[in-house]
Amino acid sequence: MTRSIEREIRVQASPEVVYEVISSPEHLREWWPEEVDLDPVPGASGRITFRRPEGDKVEPVTVVEADPPRRFSFRWGYTGDTATPENSLLVTFDVIPADGGTLLRFAETGYDAASKPDEMLADHTTGWDYFLPRIPPYAGKLAQRP
Amino acid sequence: MIDDELWSAIGDPTRRRMLDLLLADGGGTATGLSDQLPVTRQAVAKHLGVLDRAGLVHSTPSGRERRYTVDENRLAHAINQLTDVTDAWDRRLQRIKRISEAIEQRKRQQP
Repeated sequence: MTRSIEREIRVQASPEVVYEVISSPEHLREWWPEEVDLDPVPGASGRITFRRPEGDKVEPVTVVEADPPRRFSFRWGYTGDTATPENSLLVTFDVIPADGGTLLRFAETGYDAASKPDEMLADHTTGWDYFLPRIPPYAGKLAQRP
Repeated sequence: MIDDELWSAIGDPTRRRMLDLLLADGGGTATGLSDQLPVTRQAVAKHLGVLDRAGLVHSTPSGRERRYTVDENRLAHAINQLTDVTDAWDRRLQRIKRISEAIEQRKRQQP
């Protein structure tokens, strides 16, 4: 199954501010990793570092699109030097002006070991929706999670 | 990150329906499952092999066949991985919202 998450969130701030927060290393550090070594321009590669009790976790990141204040997208979750659609997850932020503020649209889509993209894209929207409600014992456990 | 084998095992719609049936019936055989699905017994056996390798089902001999049951812990683990990833992004988006709105507030308050 293609790993795919889609969300929308309304923000009471201008698209310029939101774009800055999602793309600049200074602000990225405030909402995601502890350290960011990345120039937010198309094609740039860098690293983000997560501080964990068991030690630092360093992840490579490659910027795909940087179009202020409209869209910022990057690939991550890969090993090796180069991010490709086959080996990485694509995160896309669409920054849309709405009612004097911003509608921030987020998507993270990914690869699948079985590599059957079309079939999986058709499937991912229904897969878990179909599956999760049918497992009451786990649904109960999940609902209690903090 | 996601356990790839587990992810692709559970990613196939036929295999999810099989898990669904096995959970509902408390277990089953390849023949029993193929009676309830639009696929051959042979295809069902192949899917059971994938689920078995991912640790999602276990089998015991039952007459001339094998009877399969779902490993509920392993399945819960798969579901937790999925919800962890989703929850993490929800928290990050909430932080983006808070930070952006705080910056906007400060800007408006400046003369």
